[in-house]
Amino acid sequence: MAELEIVADHNRCVGSTMCVQLAPTVFALDDAGQSTVTDPGGAARDEIIDAASQCPMEAITVVDARSGEELFPG
Amino acid sequence: MTVSDNLMAPDVIHDPHSYYHALRDADPVHWNDRWGGWVVTRYEDVIKVLRNAEAFSADRMGFLERELTDEEREPITPIFEVLSSWMVFADPPLHTDLRGLVNRQFTPKAIDGYRPQVRAIVDDVLDGIEAKGEMEVVRDLAYQIPMTVILDLMGVPDLNRIKIKQWSEELGLFFFIRADEPRRRHFATRGVSALAGYMERVVEEKAKNPDDKLISLFLGAEAAGKITRQDVVANCVLLAFGGHETTMNLIANGTLALIRNPDQWLRLKKDPSMIRTAIEELLRYDGSVKTTVRWARQDVEVGGETIKAGQRVLIGLSAANRDPSQYADPDSLDLTRDPNLHVAFGQGIHVCVGAPLARMEAQEAFAALTERFDVPEIVSEDYEYWPTIIGRSLQSLRVRF
Repeated sequence: MAELEIVADHNRCVGSTMCVQLAPTVFALDDAGQSTVTDPGGAARDEIIDAASQCPMEAITVVDARSGEELFPG
Repeated sequence: MTVSDNLMAPDVIHDPHSYYHALRDADPVHWNDRWGGWVVTRYEDVIKVLRNAEAFSADRMGFLERELTDEEREPITPIFEVLSSWMVFADPPLHTDLRGLVNRQFTPKAIDGYRPQVRAIVDDVLDGIEAKGEMEVVRDLAYQIPMTVILDLMGVPDLNRIKIKQWSEELGLFFFIRADEPRRRHFATRGVSALAGYMERVVEEKAKNPDDKLISLFLGAEAAGKITRQDVVANCVLLAFGGHETTMNLIANGTLALIRNPDQWLRLKKDPSMIRTAIEELLRYDGSVKTTVRWARQDVEVGGETIKAGQRVLIGLSAANRDPSQYADPDSLDLTRDPNLHVAFGQGIHVCVGAPLARMEAQEAFAALTERFDVPEIVSEDYEYWPTIIGRSLQSLRVRF
């Protein structure tokens, strides 16, 4: 079971690709050029949170699946 | 119905929204012979172009260079030297490096740290305006806020703002395509040379006393061999220019939009909790950048037309933001509109790096403005916009409270 629940909100994502550049094993672009999560366990937690935090739209939410705590944006 | 190709016609400058509505209806992917490129106006097509950096280059200087003869190019060399290093006109991998350097400083959370400072600036400006009972929106309000903040972010709060403003205006003649000014490249060369010369000295000083702000970050990348000193200076010019010009226009355009829709002014005054959606709506409704340009690197299909390699595309940001296929009732200002994934800051890899900053500045400005004042009256209705293809920029707007 993945430890993180990661959601890229397509009502906010503008396809800046920051998340894909910073965590390419976790995020990818879909056909519309927006971010999708390919593997929520694909990188270290800190790396994923950093990638999410560099989104200019704060379109990515990262939640600890066990505790339910919102790690980003928090 | 045919639509005129004159993007500089006075009625188009005054009311681009009606023009782009007509163009979208008549020919949504339109070859504009006069401008010499395609004009794309549907939301769907606009985001497709913006999000496809592989097929569409942003390298304005590279494409311009190929159009010019050596004799035409030589006198405007400083424009090439500076603007070729700007991340806005860079394709990957240079774009990725430059953006990566500064992106962390501009995230919404990082920018939020500046909110109290922006609030203090806004209060200070509004105190002065309240005492006078009137203001010229562009000079008295819209310009003051962004200039102060960007210089602070760069780590150089005491630079000569009047000079920067003057040089930025000259550079803007080229950047925003002031097509009716035949000497626009000449003036822009003068402005950019002065701005770059000034920034060169600022950067040299900062190298002696580094801090954790933007100029020092650029210098760190230079020391690591990632970028050159010329890149450092050029991107300081970009921050000083880009950091105030467009936000200034957003605040001015937004003020006018709220005066024209007094119910919305009063709605925000009554319930300031809508400030976030309110700013997104002001960006959508009448943002500061009407259009942006890309060049096809390969033959590519957009909305049923084939754009050929080397051809340029004028991307209708304002047009997309009023597309009825994307927005219900696109010409009405609704400060609670949500979702609202507009293209006022562009989209894709070049989405404005300063967007979180511009948003925050506008949130603070409009929250305070509507809280303090009732809807002002416009002193003179004959306000005008600077005639450019790209910018949406009021020359001045005098209002009385």
